[in-house]
Amino acid sequence: MSGALPDELDPRPWLAAPPPTAARIAAALRADAPGIEELRVLISEQARPWIEPMAQRAQALTERHFGRTIALYAPLYLSNYCSSGCAYCGFASDRRQPRRRLAPEEIAMEMDALKAMGIEEILLLTGERTPQADFDYLLGAVRQAAQRFHLVTVEAFPMNVEEYRALTAAGCVGVTLYQETYEPEQYTRLHRWGPKQDFAARLDGPARALAAGLRTAGLGALLGLSDPRFDALALYLHLAHLRRRFWRAGFSISFPRVCEQAGGFAAPHPVDDARLAQIVFAFRIALPDVPLVLSTREAPAFRDGMAGVGISKMSVASRTTVGGYVAAAPPGSPGQFEVHDGRDVAAFTAMLRARRLEPVFKSWDAVYREAPAA
Amino acid sequence: MHDDELILGGHRFTSRLLLGTGKFSDAVTMLKALDASGAQIVTVALRRFNRERSEDDLAAPLLARKHLTLMPNTSGARTAAEAVKAAHIARDLCGSPFVKVEIHPNPHHLMPDPIETYEASRTLARDGFVVMPYMPADPVLAKRLEEAGCASVMPLGSAIGSGQGLATAELLRLIVRDSRIPVIVDAGLRSPSQAAAAMEMGCDAVLVNSAVAAAGDPPAMAAALARAVEAGRAARRAGLMDRGDSASATSPLTVFLTARPG
Repeated sequence: MSGALPDELDPRPWLAAPPPTAARIAAALRADAPGIEELRVLISEQARPWIEPMAQRAQALTERHFGRTIALYAPLYLSNYCSSGCAYCGFASDRRQPRRRLAPEEIAMEMDALKAMGIEEILLLTGERTPQADFDYLLGAVRQAAQRFHLVTVEAFPMNVEEYRALTAAGCVGVTLYQETYEPEQYTRLHRWGPKQDFAARLDGPARALAAGLRTAGLGALLGLSDPRFDALALYLHLAHLRRRFWRAGFSISFPRVCEQAGGFAAPHPVDDARLAQIVFAFRIALPDVPLVLSTREAPAFRDGMAGVGISKMSVASRTTVGGYVAAAPPGSPGQFEVHDGRDVAAFTAMLRARRLEPVFKSWDAVYREAPAA
Repeated sequence: MHDDELILGGHRFTSRLLLGTGKFSDAVTMLKALDASGAQIVTVALRRFNRERSEDDLAAPLLARKHLTLMPNTSGARTAAEAVKAAHIARDLCGSPFVKVEIHPNPHHLMPDPIETYEASRTLARDGFVVMPYMPADPVLAKRLEEAGCASVMPLGSAIGSGQGLATAELLRLIVRDSRIPVIVDAGLRSPSQAAAAMEMGCDAVLVNSAVAAAGDPPAMAAALARAVEAGRAARRAGLMDRGDSASATSPLTVFLTARPG
């Protein structure tokens, strides 16, 4: 049970176009109203030598729309129980990992630790739905977060509309749900078992969340699983489709890529630093007003270089082990993925300030959501 | 005594340049730009108030400058109800009667929602606020907001942060012509010449943020904008000469009306 990509999200007509000429690339960089055709051109192999002018344009557009600021958030891993067999994930159910979920008292302690760092936007994460970390467990964590943070979002399993509605009522503002890959056959190969095998249910998750009243949807593809051009163009089409349907919604795009983790999965379509940067710059040019997000999966030098150059939002001081903020992780307990940027809040914000970028912890106010039931 | 004050809800100001406070690289640059601008009214988003982390808080350093009038804005609100709630909280926090009603439900293009803006403005005017609505450049909506008790209207020149200048110039002219409350162009300006043009066409003030924050030297640009606003205002008061062709027609067409029969 997988599903096909609906016609309106199918990037193949664009992939079938002839490779762009130099003149076409130059025109795409100057375009008044860039769209998917410009994105196709700018993420092409042929555009690689144009990465510097793309970066210049990306920086100017980022500064114009977002100012000289970087929005900051922190993830909180609630549970690493998982029922799915994603070939690329360190928390997949066949990995020999110590399994753990935070109890409500531990969640409170972790949240208090994040709050003490100044965090005001928190992203709550779980794996796929399991008896240990089910919807009610996540809902309880959202309620706890809403008492402490102005902005609460979740990155968990796809839910139904009633569940998303309950999350909204509990104080959740947004959902992040990466499709991982938009290439249906590759999706089927990589999702070896479990609920995540349902391609269509995942693809439609953001629409259900927005229909239920959540305000923001974070989209993304795990770059490296398929041809990155396929995933980038389908991702753009997904956003364009959702934006027409949910005109009040806020969207953001993240750029995770396959990295080393337990299980030794090697990316079938590796994306190196220059390629990732090119893709980010192309998205900034094609979507000048959409927040683009880069996590601590990436190394400090890469993060520093991308801050404000396309990227407008970043995670900070991430611990991808469950319970990572209060206790130092016990030896031999790897996270879902390796955190390459381990700098704390002070070190990271000092870097941003040195680059004349203002770190913004609070860019939202809890007044704009319904007060959660006590 | 200044003979050309900007009067908003009974409050008097000599500067006609209002400044937004977001998007700056740091608070020091923002404050320097503010000083250089001579602005007396600054707007700050409630969502950027942060009482729990001082270096992330835009409001405290502004509140410390007693000569400034703080105009909190409701950016982030999607509905009138949210904006009204936010306005009350902001008033409690900073004690200013001013509120910039800013309701842009789409967080990407940031275009103001005329329906929710009208509803919120009407409610807040009744609640005793000095209401300054950010609005589309719509002459009918401007009059409706005036009738609802707003202290000014703040139509957009073009999209927030776009730097496209006075794309709505012809609509702004209609708003200015018919308005009985000050008209403040808010959003879209990029350059001092555009600010001067807005003042020349009769706008009472301009509000800028990106034009300063994203300039190469924000304090220097703030000073340049201040001078442009003054020049544009002075030009408006002086009265521009009529625009016409470079010369008048050489052969009068109506001689026949006065010609005597031969």
